[in-house]
Amino acid sequence: MSLRVGSPVTGRVVALSAVPDPVFSQAMVGPGVAVEPVRAKADVVSPVDGKVVTLHPHAFVVATGDGAAVLVHLGIDTVKRKGEGFELHVVKGEEVRAGQRIVTWDPAEVEAAGFAPICPVIALDASADVLAGLALDADVTTNDALFDWSR
Amino acid sequence: MADEKAQKIIAALGGASNIVEIEPCITRLRCELEDGSVVDEKALKALGAHGVMRSGNVVQVVVGPEADTLASDIEDLL
Repeated sequence: MSLRVGSPVTGRVVALSAVPDPVFSQAMVGPGVAVEPVRAKADVVSPVDGKVVTLHPHAFVVATGDGAAVLVHLGIDTVKRKGEGFELHVVKGEEVRAGQRIVTWDPAEVEAAGFAPICPVIALDASADVLAGLALDADVTTNDALFDWSR
Repeated sequence: MADEKAQKIIAALGGASNIVEIEPCITRLRCELEDGSVVDEKALKALGAHGVMRSGNVVQVVVGPEADTLASDIEDLL
């Protein structure tokens, strides 16, 4: 089985090592990619079908039925924004479909406030060798494939 | 059991009296401490922390997605 993980945002896919935060750049919580988002107000969508198991304004985790959990983090250190500029459209525990909007934000505003708006998309607790087809250096729109997670 | 882990994390952070504030952020606990130098990094890693990042008295313990649950368990004990 392979789980297709879609892009939560529109932008350019880069390696996790480009993320200015050691938790992500050293893949401490799992492998994945990051998306440098287009600097315009936009909806962020779920990368997979599943349940929203963790939900913050600036980050969320969607877990599939068989336990694969994908973390989307909107910008670095954006917990400090305390939700300002993030509009949630779902609640914790809600079942969502890949491509369904979760939150609306504005990467330009986040950047203007002094935060890197880059978005790590992480296969939580996976090992790097189970990810394939990483869309590195590609321009993606929301719900385009970022990688396949072999399960 | 959850409380036991929370209790051990508190101990590794230098005890309840050393903790000013703990804030969960999806993958990590951001801990503001009275004295960051007493943190027992080895104990935290033994408890399953993926990493520990120190910046003076602010110590970030990378625990993975259970950060939210752990932080509330810890707050219950403080």
